Amino acid sequence: MSSKPLYVMLCSGEHEKIQLAAMVASVAAVSDRPVEVFVTMNAVLAFERGKSPAERYQGGHFHEMFKTQNVPDAIELFGQGKMLGEMKMWVCSMVLDLKHWDHDKHLTEDLFDGPMGLAKFLADSEGGELITI
Amino acid sequence: MAERQKIDARGAFCPGPLMELIAALKLASIGDEVDVWSSDKGSASDIPAWCAKVGHSVVEASEHDGYWSVVVRKAK
Repeated sequence: MSSKPLYVMLCSGEHEKIQLAAMVASVAAVSDRPVEVFVTMNAVLAFERGKSPAERYQGGHFHEMFKTQNVPDAIELFGQGKMLGEMKMWVCSMVLDLKHWDHDKHLTEDLFDGPMGLAKFLADSEGGELITI
Repeated sequence: MAERQKIDARGAFCPGPLMELIAALKLASIGDEVDVWSSDKGSASDIPAWCAKVGHSVVEASEHDGYWSVVVRKAK
């Protein structure tokens, strides 16, 4: 029996929240659940191409722990979710416009399926379960 | 003939051991077994729950000195 698709709206730039989104999305995707992730607002900054993990993430208590322990990198987890499961990642077209960025030039390579508008993502998510992080 | 491979994921945090198991199963043949070692306590329940969800079999699960061994047989 196929599961209801999961839609994740990731807007926070906090490392802990990006980590949680990556865990939820990747585990759902490898558990035979279709997943779509919409990355917007400050979260987009973590996906800027060429950034090192030290530059990419900012956060609090657990952010410090993630840095020193063997916790999977959030960007790599998203990549594993896409490689091993059914997962798509979209970047908010409004944020790209504001930053004057192209998704295939300024964001992490081979991760995003393209830009998307909020109305389209919301319309698509009506058929599944939407969580916002 | 079915094979068994071991993945030593001790020291990796959630969901690292599960993702390593899934990557190994993807490359395995039906009937092959993967024995994943994990020091992440959640793996002891996460891996059997994932297997039940997607249709693979847990052959055995045992606790050792500071880690769990979960043997999964690829069923599809």
